[in-house]
Amino acid sequence: MSSTTVAPPRWALKAEGLGRIYGVQGPESLDGTGPDFGTAVSPATGAVVAAWDIGFEVEPGEALGIIGESGSGKSTVMRCIAGDETATAGRIALRGVGHGAVNIRELDPPARRKLRLDQIAVVYQDPAAGLNLDVTAGGNIADPLTAAGWRSYQRIRDRAADLLRRVEVPLSRMDDLARTFSGGMRQRVQIARALANEPPVLLLDEPTTGLDASVAAGVLDLLRTLLEETGVAAVVVSHDFGVIDMLTRRVVVMRHGRIVESGLTDQLLEDPQHPYSQQLVAAARG
Amino acid sequence: MSAQAKDQDAAVGGTAWLELDQITERLGLGVDRVMGEAGLWAPELAARALRQAHGDPPEAAQLLRAHRTALPRLAIGEPVSTTELKVVRRISSAFRNPPGGQVLGRTLDYVGRLLDLMPEDEGKARNAGSPHAEDTRPHAHDHAHDHRHRDPDHAVPEEAVRTPAHVLATFRDMGLVAPPRGDGDPEPFDITRRPARPGAPRSAWLQTMARADTGSLLYLWYGSDWRPAGHEVPGELRHGILPLRVRHPHTGRPVTVAETRVSEVQTFHSLPRAGELPTSLDVGYGLCFGHNERKAISMAGLDLLLAHHEGATDLQHDVLLTLDGPDSTGYTQHLKLPHHVEYRSVLERAHAAARGTRLTERDTA
Amino acid sequence: MTAQLTTELAGPPPSPGIFDELSKREIRRAMLSGIAIPGYQVPFGSREMPVARGWGSGGLQATLSLVGEDSRLKVIDQGEDAGVNASNLRRLVAAHAGCTEETDTRSADIIQSRHRIPEQPLRDGQVLVLQVPGAEPLAGIVRDMDEQRRMHAEADYSKMWVRLYEDIVHNGLITEAAGYPVLVEGRYIMTPSPIPRWDVPKMNDSEAITVLSAGREKRIFAVPPHTRVVPLTFDDRPFEVERTPGAACRLCGSQDTYIVQEPGPDGTFSAWVCSDTDFCRRRRTGDAPAAPAAGGTAQGGTA
Repeated sequence: MSSTTVAPPRWALKAEGLGRIYGVQGPESLDGTGPDFGTAVSPATGAVVAAWDIGFEVEPGEALGIIGESGSGKSTVMRCIAGDETATAGRIALRGVGHGAVNIRELDPPARRKLRLDQIAVVYQDPAAGLNLDVTAGGNIADPLTAAGWRSYQRIRDRAADLLRRVEVPLSRMDDLARTFSGGMRQRVQIARALANEPPVLLLDEPTTGLDASVAAGVLDLLRTLLEETGVAAVVVSHDFGVIDMLTRRVVVMRHGRIVESGLTDQLLEDPQHPYSQQLVAAARG
Repeated sequence: MSAQAKDQDAAVGGTAWLELDQITERLGLGVDRVMGEAGLWAPELAARALRQAHGDPPEAAQLLRAHRTALPRLAIGEPVSTTELKVVRRISSAFRNPPGGQVLGRTLDYVGRLLDLMPEDEGKARNAGSPHAEDTRPHAHDHAHDHRHRDPDHAVPEEAVRTPAHVLATFRDMGLVAPPRGDGDPEPFDITRRPARPGAPRSAWLQTMARADTGSLLYLWYGSDWRPAGHEVPGELRHGILPLRVRHPHTGRPVTVAETRVSEVQTFHSLPRAGELPTSLDVGYGLCFGHNERKAISMAGLDLLLAHHEGATDLQHDVLLTLDGPDSTGYTQHLKLPHHVEYRSVLERAHAAARGTRLTERDTA
Repeated sequence: MTAQLTTELAGPPPSPGIFDELSKREIRRAMLSGIAIPGYQVPFGSREMPVARGWGSGGLQATLSLVGEDSRLKVIDQGEDAGVNASNLRRLVAAHAGCTEETDTRSADIIQSRHRIPEQPLRDGQVLVLQVPGAEPLAGIVRDMDEQRRMHAEADYSKMWVRLYEDIVHNGLITEAAGYPVLVEGRYIMTPSPIPRWDVPKMNDSEAITVLSAGREKRIFAVPPHTRVVPLTFDDRPFEVERTPGAACRLCGSQDTYIVQEPGPDGTFSAWVCSDTDFCRRRRTGDAPAAPAAGGTAQGGTA
């Protein structure tokens, strides 16, 4: 990688012109889609423009929210950044990879998967997607540690215990199979696992959806503390303005695959401009 | 044959030596099965193998396979279309009277499954009374299956065509079947030279099934979770003779060097695809050496499922990796070898783990 | 005419009936690929042998492709030269290739073995052919073969490490018994075939070539001389070989060889004997270095 005179950027993660189309990939699929047309489905080709022209930067220690209803494309954007799927167009850069000069969208799949070791971690809505439920809580944390080269059993145990303590999982449960954990506990283990190798970028996909309200509140509290303490650059995807308000400083609103509004979270909550944002805020105010 | 095996043969009893032509003539389906599972057309060698294996077809197939390994591959057969198949039996369950006619031929299908308790003397006498072994007219107790196909015309009614057009062609003309996709797999995958793994092309799974263990193949098809509601219909089942041609190494021209018998099945079903109404029929294809309709039908049924569920790696895994007779029977045989070296290692770990547990209990007590 | 054509196409007729020369060449190519990429499983068109799959059909193909008339061939099963299977294989190859049957490990050029590495350290120029019933060390971790191959390709072995971690959590130690997984030259995880852990350290930095051949699974892999072969374990959990305190070979008194149990006079499995019968015999006739003083590495310690 020729990083001759490239100075490291301020941001930890940057997306530019990011797009993902299912079906016919050409520009003919774009016409007639987006919020102005009220659909993400191309009338000409039938392709689904799940996300288009998405751009944002996230700095270390900052959390960015992506909000929208289901089908708005917010999770697609997250999966494209995570590498779970490949974007159709655009540029994704990480400060940790060639000082941001590399478009990681263009890396081959093995190189892409390697980023998940120490550059990007993901917390999924469904803990089963991020955990092996037939392995102990400690074993789930041992996975990223051994992948990063840890070879001392005791040091792995110590590190896992430390992480579990931070996510407030009782150490007495460290050697229990993840399958025996409640939903909230599983989510905490998943968060501990995501933080194991101290990734500079953390992606959270509906991290509390599916949890009971009281359990969700506890997990949100924990996430807020962790985001403040770790200095990680976080992207939080949610349909719930309550979650976005609690965790993020800035937010983008997505609908039908496009960004319709962006700004500081508290300002946008106070004074939403786009009718759709107003609708979301009204729903959150309940 | 090893001295040991000879001793075993001697121990079987004092009956007469079993002649090879007795085996090929009277136990023809067994010989065919062995050739099919061995993937080698050699009736006399298969009869030898079956005799040496005391009638155990998988063991006989293993013998034949190992023998084939010893032979150099001198040439590769030219592709031959089964439109050239000279049928000795040909039925369609899709049409009452398909173009080209039904040719029932020899089969056990249409006679009662009554154990023939004719006294042995009488049976022998009748057999001796038949003019000559070359005679292919039915014996007194009719329809007994037998494979003297030196003159297969005997089995074919006058009016039937010896090389009838495929029912599939009729279906195609009627627009019922999607045209074959021309993509990929132009050069057949050779499973004897390259191990086939899930994701291998269709030619690999067809070859694997063609020489699969018949029982395993039948089970996989019959027991498959992938079978849709309702069953497929073998639109056409044929048994007949195909030429084997190779290019002459000097002239380069194709020369017919042998004839083989094969069973062929084309099976049809209309399976719904996600979000699509079934507008055309799915087709499955089965072909194996000899007369083995059970195998050809199972194979065609599985081929249909494999083609329909593209990328179903579980099913591909089972088809490509679990159907081979020598593989699976060999695996059961290997269990009978001594394993005490590993077994000691396993026991030692169990004891060590138990000791460790006792120590921990003492520590925490 | 036919005979002449045959010769033109396939070379001179081979010695009678197990394997043709073109196939042997293919197996040799697979072995060379394996040696070039230590620990990598090379797919090959495994042929049917006159033995059942699982009785050494893979090892036999490798051996047949390597032996010549002037080779000395040793075949052992579970350490024994005289086992029925070992004797049959040795005779079969000797009859086919005209090589000499050998039991002394020192004199053998090729040693085909089922589940043991001889006690006598191997030397430069020898080839050890190990029979492999299951070639894929990741098979018990992921079933999907594409995923197994991706994991090897990317050296993505964390799932294997998690398995070892979980083993210690649940059992207090790593319970992998025979066929303990190894890392070859820091790159590929490989099964050493179901040899006891006792034999695993012998593969490291060996003078000889080790060829591992799985006939049913149609894969060949190899460890060239002087290659690092390290059993997978955590830095603070030393690799343990089999040990039974106080046990010694009933015949030669050895405590520093791999011993297996056999029934004693009272019918219980109380007596121990060497599994390597050749080495045991040499010990008894003074043709091998005596056992080191008891307490050394006797049946234990860590390797």
